[in-house]
Amino acid sequence: MTDLPLSQPAAAMPGRRTGSLLAQDDRTRRRNAAESRFRLYGVIAIAISMIALVVLLATILTGGAGAFRQTYLNIPVTLDAEVLDPNGNRDPAEMAKVLTLAYGRVLDAAVDGTIARHGIQIEGLSEADIDGLISREASAQVRDRVLANPELVGQTVEFDVLVGGRIDGYFKGRVTMDSAERDSNTSPQQLMLAQELADRGEMVTRFNWNFLTNADASDQRPEAAGVGVAILGSLYMMLVVLVLSVPIGVAASIYLEEFAPKNRLTDIIEVNISNLAAVPSIVFGILGLAAFINFAGLPQSAPIVGGLVLTLMTLPTIIISTRAALKAVPPSIRDAALGVGASKMQSVFHHVLPLAMPGILTGTIIGLAQALGETAPLLLIGMVAFVRNFPDGLPGGLMDPASALPVQVFNWTQRSDPAFIERASGAIIVLLIFLLCMNLLAIWLRRRFERRW
Amino acid sequence: MPLSWAIFASFLLAAAGYIIGRSRAFASAGPDVRKLHSRPTYHGYSVALTALFPPLAVLALAGLLRMAGVLSAEAGPVVGLLALGAGVVGLGLGVTRIGQQFQARNAVERMVLGLLMLCSLIAIVTTAGIVLSLVFETGRFFQVYDWRTFFFGTEWTPRFQGNSQLGIVPLLWGTLYISFIALLVAVPIGLFAAIYMSEYASGRVRSIVKPAIEILAGIPTIVYGLFALITVGPLLRDYFAQPLGLGNSGSSVLTAGLVMGIMLIPFVSSLSDDIINAVPQSLRDGALGLGSTPSETVRQVVLPAALPGIVGAVLLAASRAIGETMIVVLGAGAAAQMSLNPLEAMTTITVKIVSQLTGDSDFNSPETLVAFALGLTLFVITLALNVVALYIVRKYREQYE
Amino acid sequence: MYDTNRRVETAVTPDDIKIQARKVQVYYGDKHALKDVDVDILDKTVTAFIGPSGCGKSTFLRCINRMNDTIPIARVEGQILLDNEDVYDRRVDPVQLRAKVGMVFQKPNPFPKSIYDNVAYGPRIHGLARNRSELDGIVEKALRGAALWNEVKDRLQEPGTGLSGGQQQRLCIARAVATSPEVLLMDEPCSALDPIATAQVEDLIEELREQFSVVIVTHSMQQAARVSQKTAFFHLGNLVEYGDTDDIFTRPRDSRTEAYISGRIG
Repeated sequence: MTDLPLSQPAAAMPGRRTGSLLAQDDRTRRRNAAESRFRLYGVIAIAISMIALVVLLATILTGGAGAFRQTYLNIPVTLDAEVLDPNGNRDPAEMAKVLTLAYGRVLDAAVDGTIARHGIQIEGLSEADIDGLISREASAQVRDRVLANPELVGQTVEFDVLVGGRIDGYFKGRVTMDSAERDSNTSPQQLMLAQELADRGEMVTRFNWNFLTNADASDQRPEAAGVGVAILGSLYMMLVVLVLSVPIGVAASIYLEEFAPKNRLTDIIEVNISNLAAVPSIVFGILGLAAFINFAGLPQSAPIVGGLVLTLMTLPTIIISTRAALKAVPPSIRDAALGVGASKMQSVFHHVLPLAMPGILTGTIIGLAQALGETAPLLLIGMVAFVRNFPDGLPGGLMDPASALPVQVFNWTQRSDPAFIERASGAIIVLLIFLLCMNLLAIWLRRRFERRW
Repeated sequence: MPLSWAIFASFLLAAAGYIIGRSRAFASAGPDVRKLHSRPTYHGYSVALTALFPPLAVLALAGLLRMAGVLSAEAGPVVGLLALGAGVVGLGLGVTRIGQQFQARNAVERMVLGLLMLCSLIAIVTTAGIVLSLVFETGRFFQVYDWRTFFFGTEWTPRFQGNSQLGIVPLLWGTLYISFIALLVAVPIGLFAAIYMSEYASGRVRSIVKPAIEILAGIPTIVYGLFALITVGPLLRDYFAQPLGLGNSGSSVLTAGLVMGIMLIPFVSSLSDDIINAVPQSLRDGALGLGSTPSETVRQVVLPAALPGIVGAVLLAASRAIGETMIVVLGAGAAAQMSLNPLEAMTTITVKIVSQLTGDSDFNSPETLVAFALGLTLFVITLALNVVALYIVRKYREQYE
Repeated sequence: MYDTNRRVETAVTPDDIKIQARKVQVYYGDKHALKDVDVDILDKTVTAFIGPSGCGKSTFLRCINRMNDTIPIARVEGQILLDNEDVYDRRVDPVQLRAKVGMVFQKPNPFPKSIYDNVAYGPRIHGLARNRSELDGIVEKALRGAALWNEVKDRLQEPGTGLSGGQQQRLCIARAVATSPEVLLMDEPCSALDPIATAQVEDLIEELREQFSVVIVTHSMQQAARVSQKTAFFHLGNLVEYGDTDDIFTRPRDSRTEAYISGRIG
């Protein structure tokens, strides 16, 4: 001890705090004020995040709820045999030659009839207003039903036909008398007519299953557009991702975590995987376009290509979470298996892998959920195309053009009719419900099988 | 899938191999199965795998040759028969190896190990695929378009009839401007949220807020994009841009930046949370024991100690922001311009990649090929950020392990 | 049943009492970790807390400067008077309290800052120096006080984490001393140190006694015997015996104390 000991008495030390503990001095008060401010910043940060979450979900939910309700007009349609079956033999093949246009005329007559029956008189109501009341899709709707059941021809049948997008919007509050004044696609008179029909119970707005089962519809017919093709396309892609990424991802993780020697190659692989996980998704889209479509010659818009691209994107996520799950299995389990004479491979496949399974499944589901919501790479491989036909069953359907839920959302945001924004929000609700289910499943798996060592 | 029958047949062959192998093993063991080195099942697997690999290899090779254009589609049946022949040969070889001394288990394990290794190479193959496709197509672009005009040109006006100006500078400006605003929103909010959660919040608050922030992280970017398009954009236009006379576009740098910032909050906060929690408790105790307030402890001890990790997290967030596509496609607009006014519509690299590749123009035109050059630029920028960030974060973790 | 030997303070005048603990209880959730502790700690004295691990000695130490506040599930009842003011009074700010009652921890925990900034940290947050030269003075004195000055005076700007374990612990002591506390709490300060560093720190404690009331928790009876004037023996959350160190080690009154110092429990 060469240093000088402290020699002065305590009271003489400079800067020693004196005074009672029970009273805060100025400096402490200032410091405590700074403390409260700092805490407040934290509270504000969390409040902003929470508000953002609530506002985000609320706008989507309120905006999209309308897509699940649809307005229909109930009218008796006289299916005039002379127009619909000129040859009179009820042969579906010959009746198929009758154009949708003819059904449109039959429907127009039916609408006129209904208006006349109720004696509705509206000043300034034009013929175009009456014809525009029902959707252009309605005649196709009627035609499909007649072709499926030719016996209907010649009878008067009650139909629930889709009404036009503007009329539907009126009952959902999107279209008002004021906006109709400025809109060339509708008029206040048309809305009044719709209101009259609704008052008489002929026009009703009710739950819309067709939104989930219909295919996309053209620009002019938002009321007929649905997410059926998109759901099926997304489902196909998820199947491809599941079938490819799980075995490959788990195999790669097992190798890297359990067998790989520590050398340059494995180092490169590891750095590579963590970097791949952070590569922008759109770059994977470029890869898909260049490798799978231009080089390998796979068809555009096909779920197989989307699935392959999403597989490559999901693999890093699955590998990272699988390795974490494998790492969490204590070495004592491996030692125990090796101790009774199992080979390394047997110890991994018989003991480590089953114990890591819940963690692997959780990671896989989260990876799949990510893939399900991914949009950008799918745009580049042509999934944004307008697809009206459902893809075939598996496995051939993998090569057919299809859409995907998030891409369908994007597609609808690019349309001019604001009714499509409602559809887009509705499609997001469907997407979020799928994601919610997947995440709940992951949470359940984690709770149910979580093991602590 | 013309050759699916061949694949199917190979698997049948393998199944047959398994049964044959197992029964041959039983037969060769005689009355006492224990005389075998490996259990009969392993002999079965061994034969199945030796029967399966050769035809699959033949088919994979044929597929590659077909893509490269060496092989025509008519060669399909020949390839299929060739594959089946290879399978039968493999099966025969596998069966002849069966015997009491044959180490079937070791053989199977070696093959499985090879398979596992092959799977782990997929990451490298993917990266190679990305780099190759980007570099190859970018090379083609630079053959028809001067690279100096691309990298230094300040004008972006693609035209269908050709003679386009394809300068990346305005796109880069839009990208960086939007990312900057996004980070300006996400970093303070995410960081403060993480600090509050790890240093102040009670267990109950944490159990509510943490999952809520995770929900924010799980929402697909297309949802954020729609939010920007139908809510934030019109809001900013009607209450800020038009009253202030700064523009009348719903799509703007600020719209995209704000929404992207919200998207990045959970990313920043969860990374920061990990990093702050890695700072040892003993440092906090030391500061508190000297009489610092919790906020002084955080600002003067915890944050400086966590700084490298947080810098890494911010870089990763920046890389995310630069590569983000859907929010900017729906929120930022398509006008390539360089302006300081955040309420004006601008565009980004990712937006232009989408618009150039989803258009109808000829695939070999510079207007389409430029997308690959943009993609390569994007890839290089984000890769550089990621490499640096991951390196910093790893070094940081090691320091406290 | 051991009330008779709880307080041995006959030779002490009340003026010398720095800390008075009365009926202190600590609960960790449902667990009653410390029961009915009464003790008087003297000024300018080294008091050692000994006992088997888990006996509550560290818990009690952390009560004195309210470090237990940082553990959400911990709850403290009873009174701890510092100069006749209850540190658990609602009006007391733990920040001011900890400026008066410094603490040194089991593992050396220098901040990832320079040696100078480590020592200057306390004076800075509490605003003890009016200017740079005064701060320099405080830092030098604290480092001298911690017997570290000669070893580090030429490299004050180097990181504190680069020092050896013993130096780091002395740096932490200097850091605590720099705020000029009245009481210095040390929680097993030598348990992570080698014998030579331990000896240095023990010498230092002897010198620190001239200024402060030092309370040291230790698992080493030899260390307690070497450095302390008073010793308290804790067992299963009870303060079993408290008295002059010499008495505790030579003439323990409680059978449990005797069993512990002779190595039969603990």
